[in-house]
Amino acid sequence: MVADSRDARAVRSAGRLNEPRPARVEANFDGTPWQVNHVPVALLREEWRVLDRWWTESPVVRRYFEVVLETGEDTVVFNDGAGGGWYTQRGA
Amino acid sequence: MIACLSIPGFELKAALRTRPSLELRPAALAQEPGGEPLIGPVTAAAEALGVRPQMRLGEALATCPKLVLVDPDPAAAEQAWEEIVRALEDAGFAVDPAAPGIAYFETRGVERLYGGLDAALRRALAAVGPQWDARIGVAGRRFAALAAATVARGGQLLVVRDEEVGNFLAPLPLSLLPLERQRSAELEALGVRRLGQLAGLPGGAVAERLGPDGRRAWGLARGGAAARVRGRRPPSELVEALEFPEAVGNELTLRRALGALVETILARPERRDRFVRKVALAARLIGGGSWRRTLTLREPSTEADRIRIALAPRLAELPAPVVELRLELVELTDPSGHQLELLAAGAEDRSRLREGLRQVRASTGTGSVCTVVEVAPWSRIPETRALFVPRDD
Repeated sequence: MVADSRDARAVRSAGRLNEPRPARVEANFDGTPWQVNHVPVALLREEWRVLDRWWTESPVVRRYFEVVLETGEDTVVFNDGAGGGWYTQRGA
Repeated sequence: MIACLSIPGFELKAALRTRPSLELRPAALAQEPGGEPLIGPVTAAAEALGVRPQMRLGEALATCPKLVLVDPDPAAAEQAWEEIVRALEDAGFAVDPAAPGIAYFETRGVERLYGGLDAALRRALAAVGPQWDARIGVAGRRFAALAAATVARGGQLLVVRDEEVGNFLAPLPLSLLPLERQRSAELEALGVRRLGQLAGLPGGAVAERLGPDGRRAWGLARGGAAARVRGRRPPSELVEALEFPEAVGNELTLRRALGALVETILARPERRDRFVRKVALAARLIGGGSWRRTLTLREPSTEADRIRIALAPRLAELPAPVVELRLELVELTDPSGHQLELLAAGAEDRSRLREGLRQVRASTGTGSVCTVVEVAPWSRIPETRALFVPRDD
């Protein structure tokens, strides 16, 4: 009997769009990034904070930065205040 | 090395070929009807009297009341430019004509043929002829070569070595860059007037302030990207013209004439089953002057109706009655170069798309085709605003 080859393939379920992706960020003493994924930051455009779901067991505490890299790329990174670590995110 | 041949005020010089007496008088190229009232290139006599290219028409006439306005003759300019490019090609250069009056070519292939860089460039100038007052700039990159050609005098060869590029570009004005007037004014207001000043700014800050165009200009101010010059494909020689017994301004008649021209040119055996990629429609106008529009078809075609429908709206732009209408097949594909689209535009789109998706699902399994569904577009957390959900219909 021949097995159904499709069984072996990944069957994806609903997923989130614009999930944060871990990033390697070097930050200054004041917490602002100066390097993202080994590319130096040329300009810090904007900074904002998101505090949400504080009434749940997994609150969201993020410090976002919109930066322009030396390559001219505009990117958004955030520092996760709850779990620690840096992430890049589209659609922010 | 990359050479840039430049003929300043080329359109004016081409328009004056039939009126050589005006070359020594103050004259300027008028704009095509409908454009902003700015004058085009000017003669040396006009420049000596204070008239500058791109001046407002009223200001130019106030500065020099004797200024003669020359009607543009795009068809004559195109023909003259084609003659120049062919003369360069006959001399062995693979030419990339960037715009009328500006052409690039690599010198490496012909230096040995003519016995050195200088001799090759002299040959290029000789091929163009002295009447055009051409000059050549040479550098390792296109933009630096263009800048050198802009600075050179008529008949001069200006070679900029790689190690000199930075110092050479630094004092040149920003007007050499392909920047919108508003952007240039913005830079000028910030005190940036020279290429060297722009090149000294951080690239990220320039991109932030001026966007992608500014970033590109910044790259050019630092010498530009290294890119090879590719010689053009030889243009097609298929031309059909229809001369009218008397000038025609009626659009319906012109549409019929266009229809006849399209049918005739597509039937020419020289086309040899090749598809039409780019066409040009030109007209000789009553009282001298000419008009020309080129059009690249979205998809190469040999259907007369399609070409006719694409070109017909251009007839409404004709500024005056026409004594001759010309149709040129500027670019043709290879005989087997017609590639059908995967999904053709039209009513069957949806069913073909659905069938395509069904095949993707069949080969990759359920859940592989998804659709984006907004669930909380107001959320402050970006990843909770939308989901992609498997689509199995």
